Amino acid sequence: MQMEEKKNITFQSEAAGLSDEELFSRVDHSDLESEKITAPRYSYWKSVFRVFFKNKVNIVFLAILGFIIFFSYIYPQIAGYDRFGNLLDASAKHLSPSKAIAKFGFSLRNILGRGASGQSTWDAIWYGSRISISLALICAAINMTVGVLVGAVWGFSKRLDMFMTEVYNIITNVPYILVIAVMILIFSPTFWTLVFAMTITGWLAIAYFIRTQVIIIRDREYNLASRCLGTPITRIATRNVLPFMTSVIVTLAAVEIPSYISYEVFLAYIGMAMSDRSLGRMIYDAESSMLTPGWGFEFWSPVVIASIITVALYVTGQNLGDASDPRTHM
Amino acid sequence: MEKYLLRRVLHGIISVIVVVMLVMILIYSMLNRNLVFAADSTFSKLQNNQKTVYKYRKWQEYGYLYYATYADFVSGMIRTGELTEEERSEANALGVKPEKDSDLVAECVEKFTQTYESQGYHVVRLDAVMANRRKQATGGQQQLFAYKDRPLFNRLISYITGLFTVDTTHAIEGELVGERGLTFTLHDPVYGGKFSPAIIGNGTKHKYLLYFDNKFPFIHQNLFKINLGVSYTVNAGVDVWDTMTKPQGSYVTSMITFPTGLTEMSADDLHSAVYVPGSRESSQVFMDRFTDDYTGVATVKSGRSKMGYSFVIGILAVLLSYVIGVPMGIAMARKKDKWLDKAGTIYIIFIIAVPSLAYIFLFRAIGGKAGLPMTFNMESASKLMYVLPIISLALPSIGNLMKWLRRYMIDQMNSDYVKFARSGGLSEREIFSKHIFKNAVIPLVHGIPASVLGAMVGAIITERVYVVPGAGNMLTTAINRYDNGAIVGVTLFYAVLSVVSIILGDVLMSMVDPRISFSSKDR
Repeated sequence: MQMEEKKNITFQSEAAGLSDEELFSRVDHSDLESEKITAPRYSYWKSVFRVFFKNKVNIVFLAILGFIIFFSYIYPQIAGYDRFGNLLDASAKHLSPSKAIAKFGFSLRNILGRGASGQSTWDAIWYGSRISISLALICAAINMTVGVLVGAVWGFSKRLDMFMTEVYNIITNVPYILVIAVMILIFSPTFWTLVFAMTITGWLAIAYFIRTQVIIIRDREYNLASRCLGTPITRIATRNVLPFMTSVIVTLAAVEIPSYISYEVFLAYIGMAMSDRSLGRMIYDAESSMLTPGWGFEFWSPVVIASIITVALYVTGQNLGDASDPRTHM
Repeated sequence: MEKYLLRRVLHGIISVIVVVMLVMILIYSMLNRNLVFAADSTFSKLQNNQKTVYKYRKWQEYGYLYYATYADFVSGMIRTGELTEEERSEANALGVKPEKDSDLVAECVEKFTQTYESQGYHVVRLDAVMANRRKQATGGQQQLFAYKDRPLFNRLISYITGLFTVDTTHAIEGELVGERGLTFTLHDPVYGGKFSPAIIGNGTKHKYLLYFDNKFPFIHQNLFKINLGVSYTVNAGVDVWDTMTKPQGSYVTSMITFPTGLTEMSADDLHSAVYVPGSRESSQVFMDRFTDDYTGVATVKSGRSKMGYSFVIGILAVLLSYVIGVPMGIAMARKKDKWLDKAGTIYIIFIIAVPSLAYIFLFRAIGGKAGLPMTFNMESASKLMYVLPIISLALPSIGNLMKWLRRYMIDQMNSDYVKFARSGGLSEREIFSKHIFKNAVIPLVHGIPASVLGAMVGAIITERVYVVPGAGNMLTTAINRYDNGAIVGVTLFYAVLSVVSIILGDVLMSMVDPRISFSSKDR
């Protein structure tokens, strides 16, 4: 009977040119059902990923990210990378892709040619990507954690605000490059020195940003009401404000993570490269190769890979940030 | 309002001073002071005791410590009459070892040690280094000196008090040609006696304190001078401010009549004459040209200064970015979710996410293909070489302007006043240009002074890629060459600009938006 009714409705709706969803359908009264108070089941993170995966662009960028992570973290482990393997072979240096393929035969290794010490450019960029991505992730993790925690306290405490704003005004005027350079000169230019140098003052800008956001949300009516009802400040912070901040924090991370990769490239270019062969270090070393005909791949490969990584991280992060805003879950 | 501004300015000055102090701690206290010799060729040539002495002398010059030599101490004793002039050479003859000192020397050394140790100095005596039994090794002469680390506050205070100097008629010690004082003339002699008022000083450091000429800004002065700190290695002995503002390039010669009446082709700029003690006596060239010791002249050069190039490129890039970025941002907001908005968003993502190095090189390659000059050449008259640096510099700010203007305008589009305007029958065009734009642009106005003043600082990567002789690389070169003086000077300059631009931004914002007021009375 129900089937028949439904058919009937379908038939009618087709007749009116409207789809099923747009029409009212009859619901029979049920005593049991009417006793229930229900809302649609809502799980925050499930909704986030539902919204996130609805956008097909995100799947493409996630695939690119997966590809990048596979090649930078797993591929060097499988294939192995020896930078000085061909050091003594003069004819293996500075080869364009076509020459490298002609000399070594076609393999993934040779499709970007060979570099200054006969190393495979393809292998080198992934080895460099691993260092650059690790640097960005570690720096972002430290800066975001410290920044968000300090920013939250900074936003809630009015007494701390005066002091921290002063500190912020002063520290931001000390050139970031100078801080990093001094750290590199005091210690040696290693990976962990750079992490230290980029996080020693880097968290302050994030904390300031979070502080501003907290201040905006802190004084909204619903928080005022919550405070009047006697909710402790920590509960307001974790239950009322933090959910609001999730999308802000994710969006911020989307900007931060690629920015460390870019900044590492920038530092290397002005001569403050770290001793590990990161992407920035590769670009710095290959700068002179850029103008030599046939050597261009040595310079452009790391530049292009750095750009792809940063764009993929940025777009994924931004869209994840959008998806984590509950207002998009409708 | 004035009171508020005054408070802000004072606040700014304090934070700038704290910044300078922090930077001094960073580079003087935290860095290994031996690093300053990393690129010093004189240092690497010296050996043994001479090397040590050179090290301490340089550290004194660089402001690390106070340093006093035994020879100076002996001269001081002669001046006070404790020793006679005849005893000088005897007193100066230190023994190769303390045991071999003569009685007079031992007495003087004792006094030297006592005097300086009571002042907190460390006294260092280096015995002669012998190559063999008779001969001393190169640079192995015996040495005696005392040093004391310079306290941070002392260094800070002397730096800050030395920031501005005013030229006075007692700036120069000793005998002068003619009488000490200022003269005012309506007919500047450098100008060939044509009408041109000038104030000429005698006994001052500069000869011309105030003068007019035919170059912008027409009135010039040497009375007040900014000293940001003397550079040690990059531009040794020259003040950072002068490095930034002095013209560069090749000499421009013209017919010049020197004070003696000699006329010849020269690039000398007589208005810049500075007192150099004893210079006229020592050189026939100066003898022929000058009537007094004001012989230290700068030269007229064809190019702009470092800051000049940076500013010209920077300010044009700022103009370009506002001219393109603002209409694009408005168009994106109006055509939200249409193809223009999408294309703009892709551009914004590209600019924000891609390392600046990558897109600068990309646009350089594109511009090079289009036939534009890819490197900057000071001697070239072509204005085309400015094109690529300006575009490279404008790209990121266009992206930023588009991003924020679009966001602010879309935020405003749902406001009640927009709905009201629409219900009142205003056209969309009118609503956008008259109502939404005016409200959306307020936060952007705050950034205008920062971008204009920021143009003076220059851009690191752009200038390096296009070989622009601008001010952008000053900090990085100073860091790479361990030039402490220049680092402090450049940092101070940056800090002042950033403090000033934030204050100006607030003022500008309150002028554009009458709702914003800083004095509590108006509220």
